[in-house]
Amino acid sequence: MSALSENILDKLSIDNIKTQVLKNAYGNDDTVIAGMDPRFLLAWYCFFGIVPWFLDNVALLLLLFVFVAVTTKLAKVAPLVLLLFCVGVFSQTGYLLLVALFFGGDASTVLPLLVMSLKVAVVSLASITVFSGLDPDKLASGLLWYGCPDQLSFSISFAYRILPILMEEFQNILLSYRMRGVAPEHKTFFGKIRYLGYQIKIIIQAFYPLMLNTAKRSRTTVEALELKGYRYAVQDKRVKRMKLQMLKAGKADYLFAGISVVWVLVSVCVSRIYF
Amino acid sequence: MNEKKKAAVTQSQKMMVFVLSMSLYGLATLFTELIPKFQVGVVEFSVEYFLFIPLTLSMLFDPISAALGAATGELVFSEIMLGQFGGLGELEKFLTVTIGVYLAGRMVKNPKNIKMVGLASITGVAVQQLMGCAVDILKVQLAVTDFESVAGLPESVFVTEGFACANDILFSGILFCMLPTMYLVPRLYGKIEPLLGMKPRNEFSVIGEAGVLSPKVVILSILGFGCAIGAELLAETGMSLIDWEADWAETPAAMAAGFALAALVALIAFGIIRRNAQLRMAEE
Repeated sequence: MSALSENILDKLSIDNIKTQVLKNAYGNDDTVIAGMDPRFLLAWYCFFGIVPWFLDNVALLLLLFVFVAVTTKLAKVAPLVLLLFCVGVFSQTGYLLLVALFFGGDASTVLPLLVMSLKVAVVSLASITVFSGLDPDKLASGLLWYGCPDQLSFSISFAYRILPILMEEFQNILLSYRMRGVAPEHKTFFGKIRYLGYQIKIIIQAFYPLMLNTAKRSRTTVEALELKGYRYAVQDKRVKRMKLQMLKAGKADYLFAGISVVWVLVSVCVSRIYF
Repeated sequence: MNEKKKAAVTQSQKMMVFVLSMSLYGLATLFTELIPKFQVGVVEFSVEYFLFIPLTLSMLFDPISAALGAATGELVFSEIMLGQFGGLGELEKFLTVTIGVYLAGRMVKNPKNIKMVGLASITGVAVQQLMGCAVDILKVQLAVTDFESVAGLPESVFVTEGFACANDILFSGILFCMLPTMYLVPRLYGKIEPLLGMKPRNEFSVIGEAGVLSPKVVILSILGFGCAIGAELLAETGMSLIDWEADWAETPAAMAAGFALAALVALIAFGIIRRNAQLRMAEE
């Protein structure tokens, strides 16, 4: 068990996660998707996030899947996120398939499961395209434009800024705990259990200094916000309009919307004629 | 005197607690999202068990800010940042986490009372888990039309869900929520509050209206729970509708109709939201 956990921890070392998440958040400002108007993308997501659940036609779902796969490719999403997506889809439907086969299912069970996994795949790829392909600041202003609470859009912008710092700090604390402590011997079975327990204990203890440091930091942040009059600004319509002025629909946005509509219509026609 | 104490928690301090709880719990859920779930015997390690962070904060500071911060942090860090946003289904988690953490924070009057801290933290976990369990059971009950007539189905659902829930509360809840909270609260008490520029909480500080379980809190919790059920069921109907009426859904005409309907719903929602935003803009 602990061998497994060590293996997982090796592959998903904090450094690795940090690079991937940072790459996902900041590394793709120059893609087609990142350059688009967030309002269009959010409306696009409303369609691709809801409609596939109501479809039952394999051909249509496949065509939609191809489309969202292309948009995901355009968004240059980090590999880690794609890996999580694959694990998610397969753990959901692969498990069902195994159970179905075990209880005497045959080839006919494959089709409904394919439909199911296609639905899940289309919806999650659409959400990956929008939420992971868009620049966080743009995403936040897009949500604000649709009337989401200011707290949410503030949280998104803030989260992307604070995450790298927090991760580095957490890593440093963990390393210093590890340097000062002696890890228990983990050759025997009970030793392994003790080792796992030790690791968990360190992680929990590491939150003590982390909480104190983050408290200092969040005070600084909020005081800086107060100095700039944040709480009055979010209630003022004029400030909001000024903030959202940067949102401008360009040629690329109309082109993208047009292509989406045409693709969906063609897919519907093709699937109705041939299947 | 009373007036002065009520004003002790200012808006900006609430904001600080919100930011603190959001970043810490967000970071923790980000890790648990990335590290696959694994099981040792009956004990399962997963997201819920970092709940000790918001629980600790809600006992030391203003409970509602800590609870909302934790739920927002989970939504932003682990769902939106990783592109795993699941739409309406996420609302259930958001509301149950908020209610659980808030109730736990309200229960503790004096953070130095270690027994109360332990009791409150396990109550918070239990409330959150029981609500999740109830939603799961309801989901199956409403999705299968003749729930009672399928032999053995009701029992098996109750047994598996009930067992998973009891296991989560008794093993993981005690090991990874109650004990860390009992370790952290007394250590942080009196140390972390000055960093946010406030006085440590004690029996006399006012954290809202009178009693622990004022009627307002109970009603709001129940309402929130109702919303959670509704959201989860709505998120689920998309799938179960098609599952029930497979023959009906096969015909192209019906499919086209469903498709058009869904598109219409999306468009209407879009229109309403847009109009609201515009109205609000024009209001000034």
